[in-house]
Amino acid sequence: MIGYIIRRIGQAVIVIAGVTIIVFILRHLLPGSIARAIIGLRATPQQVATFNRVNGLDRSLPLQYVTFLNQLLHGNLGYSFKQNMSVDAIVVHDLPNDLLLVGASLVLALLIAIPVGIVQAVRRNKLVDYAATGISFVLYSMPAYLLGLLLIAFFAVNLRVLPAEAPQQPTIGGVLSDPAGLVLPVATLTLITVALFSRYMRSSAIDSLTQDYIRTARAKGLRQSAILYRHLLRNSLIPVATLVGISMPGILTFGLIVEQLFNFPGIGLAYFNAAVDGDYPVVFGVTVLVAAVTVLGNLIADVAYALLDPRVRYD
Amino acid sequence: MSVLEIDGLRTFIRQRTGVVRAVDGVSFAIEPGETVGLVGESGCGKTMTGLSIMGLLPSRGFIADGAIRFGGRDLATLNEPAMRKVRGNEIGIVFQDPMTSLNPTMTIGHQIAEVVSEHRGVSKDDAMARAEEVLALVGMPRPAERLGYYPHQLSGGLRQRVMIGIALACEPKLLIADEPTTALDVTIQDQILALLDELKDRLGMAVLLITHDMGVIAGRADRVLVMYAGKVVERAATGQLFHRTRHPYTAALLASIPRLDQPVTQQLYTIPGLPPDLAHPPAGCRFAPRCRFATKECDGSEPPLGGPDPAHPYACFHPIGPDSALARAEVTERHGGRDGSATSGDLLVLDHIVKEFAVTRGALLRRAAGTVKAVSDVTLTIRRGETLGLVGESGCGKTTIGRMIVALERPTSGRVLFEGQEIGRLAGTRLRQVRKDLQIMFQDPYASLDPRMRVGSILREPLQIQGFGSAAEQRAHVADLLREVGLSPRSTELYPHEFSGGQRQRIGLARALALSPKLIVADEPVSALDVSIRSQILNLMRRLQAAHRLTYVMISHDLSVIRYLADQVGVMYLGKLVEVGSSADVYERPAHPYTLGLLNTIPVPDPEVERAKRGIAVVGELPSAMEPPSGCRFRTRCPLAQDVCAAEEPPLRSFSGEHKAACHFPLQTVSEVPAP
Repeated sequence: MIGYIIRRIGQAVIVIAGVTIIVFILRHLLPGSIARAIIGLRATPQQVATFNRVNGLDRSLPLQYVTFLNQLLHGNLGYSFKQNMSVDAIVVHDLPNDLLLVGASLVLALLIAIPVGIVQAVRRNKLVDYAATGISFVLYSMPAYLLGLLLIAFFAVNLRVLPAEAPQQPTIGGVLSDPAGLVLPVATLTLITVALFSRYMRSSAIDSLTQDYIRTARAKGLRQSAILYRHLLRNSLIPVATLVGISMPGILTFGLIVEQLFNFPGIGLAYFNAAVDGDYPVVFGVTVLVAAVTVLGNLIADVAYALLDPRVRYD
Repeated sequence: MSVLEIDGLRTFIRQRTGVVRAVDGVSFAIEPGETVGLVGESGCGKTMTGLSIMGLLPSRGFIADGAIRFGGRDLATLNEPAMRKVRGNEIGIVFQDPMTSLNPTMTIGHQIAEVVSEHRGVSKDDAMARAEEVLALVGMPRPAERLGYYPHQLSGGLRQRVMIGIALACEPKLLIADEPTTALDVTIQDQILALLDELKDRLGMAVLLITHDMGVIAGRADRVLVMYAGKVVERAATGQLFHRTRHPYTAALLASIPRLDQPVTQQLYTIPGLPPDLAHPPAGCRFAPRCRFATKECDGSEPPLGGPDPAHPYACFHPIGPDSALARAEVTERHGGRDGSATSGDLLVLDHIVKEFAVTRGALLRRAAGTVKAVSDVTLTIRRGETLGLVGESGCGKTTIGRMIVALERPTSGRVLFEGQEIGRLAGTRLRQVRKDLQIMFQDPYASLDPRMRVGSILREPLQIQGFGSAAEQRAHVADLLREVGLSPRSTELYPHEFSGGQRQRIGLARALALSPKLIVADEPVSALDVSIRSQILNLMRRLQAAHRLTYVMISHDLSVIRYLADQVGVMYLGKLVEVGSSADVYERPAHPYTLGLLNTIPVPDPEVERAKRGIAVVGELPSAMEPPSGCRFRTRCPLAQDVCAAEEPPLRSFSGEHKAACHFPLQTVSEVPAP
């Protein structure tokens, strides 16, 4: 198992290295030049030359890449001239908020989707199944911002029970001190992911239910609850673990929309604003970071897969 | 007082096409300590009968009528909570496939302990202690250590032992064994059946043995019920059933099995047609459309299960008398071969061929973890127009040899010479030209035909690839092929799923024949088919061989099938050819203990022969092909093994003529010293 994790980490490192190369190339493909993109179109050629010398941009590309990588390895994601602060500071400041938003939604989505999927599989083609299928298709096909707006309209505008905006203190402590403000952003993200996960869980559980070992479990005289909990659950979760891993980028993208919609003080919002402002260092830094988080999410999913399925452990 | 009494059971399954009457009025009883065999072909309702007893019917299935009396209750009407107390506790069941019947994510210890805690209400530790006891009981080596194993860490035979352990953990009064050995190799089948017998006596239970295999029934059952199309057609004590067969279906079933003691010049008996559609069964006797003795009476009314002897009832108006045996099919001229007249030299030579597959480990940095020695130094010669039979347990390398012969694999070393050309070295156009002469027929008639291609396209494809004639000529050739394998030329417009298993295997044979090849490798061509269909295909293969002067390489685990078709037989064990010779030499004068063991373990459909069996059996499990035993590879399972067998690899030595075997202590006298 340890060996498996080490090998998977090795693969993760290669993927992240690939992302850094792409980001590095993109920096050099910027219209004009990096210098012009950062210090502006009106800068004199002398100012550009000075900027290039100070930032090492006059050196050869491989050398620049090594420098860039070295900075990354030391946790230096770049410097935002627009906001006049390091990208690290922005990330360190915002990341916990994102982990809270995405993490809470993910956990909630799984807690809802797994039992719903199993109930649907067991009561296949019955009323409960049709109802749950209908709801999840509606949620899944609805754009995230529309779902968010509908929730705002209903709970914040009509019923006035929840705030329409996310907590506005930018620190994690501040966000946590206003739990009511978290409800709608987390609910929006959760509902979208639940739709996807429960569909998958349903088909995975239907597949498991037809397996011979479920018939064996029934032949043992076990109660339905014991069959579902001991025999069906773990086997059905195996494909879902992979799904959770590969849907990480999608969830992060939905997170970006949700943050924008609720003005949630997270990296998604910072990323969005930076993209609109042309604040390239932030865009690149966050891109590398998001890639790392995605790869990490996949790694966790793969480890979960190996834990769930004893057959992959020794490979 | 019977353990189980079934009275007029009807089990139906709702389907789109209508209600399938899977079990239609079945009655029988099982006495304590008795093994009752339930035999029949697929779809006859034998499994549904077993599942009805357990209340484990599929969701569309239901018991429409009848009673299942067990321990003073009627299981047919028992509610679910009460039924749960019966399942796994008073009645245990063993299913066919031990690969899929165990939960892959749970240790075998937990899977056995679970059923104990469910019904005995003991603590977790006590349940686990019982699981260990049960593993020892079913003959699992090192049971304490194996408790923590997952199913994938065990071989098929050991997994089936675990499955039996689950069924027996609570010492049930009745064990239902539904095709318990069909998915296993013959040597393992023998061990599992012996284990079931021994446990039955030790625990004093009754056994319902459900199987399609008359040989298994002959050796193990006290009484036999023969089912056809949802009904019991004959019931008798085992000896009676086999020797004083009354129902034409039972007789036909027995006659269509190739037997080791039957002259090979005889054609196999075949039952024409297919079993009826149980959603719309025929009005009269259900076997009448396929029966050679049927009259108008049979079509009009249904014969009841009866007859003069209450211990041997049958459902037939025209039973076979005690003297009139079922007329055997006409004797056919055997194709050329041993008589030498039709033989013109060697077609294929395997010259010291070796095939090793590298096993790699690691997801990122693949490194060799060893090699599987699939085929190790095999030398064989196949003459034109002859049939070579390759037998052995799964993993012995017989399929790999077949794939090397048709150039789907290249040997790691050694040469495959087809008409003098080394096909392992051919490539491009030359290889394509040779492929025309080398065709293959696969085991699974369901998986080996593209489900989205019409039969016409499937059969035309090889012709198109090889540039055979015009489109019209190709179509005419396809029609000829279909006629030749006994299918209607209109079949070209149909898709594979519209055919039965036997018909699909005919299509597979037609595809192999399309390019008029010189050699066909048939890899387990009949093992997925029912007995009555199997004999049709075997007869067809033989007829086509004679008509087209074909050379066959027939690969099978079934020794009786090989004997029916093969002139020369090669016995393989763990990648080695351990014995080779004419069919008569190998079957009548086996020299290698493994060959004799295999011959002893094949179930023979004759109760006396089965029960009198003694002598060498093959014990234990197949060793790993990655680290085969030193010296003689069979020594770990051989009753005659001595120290020299571990130290020295026995060479192939001649016994008489072409008959050779690789053994230090052969069962026949060596006729000459091995060539240096």
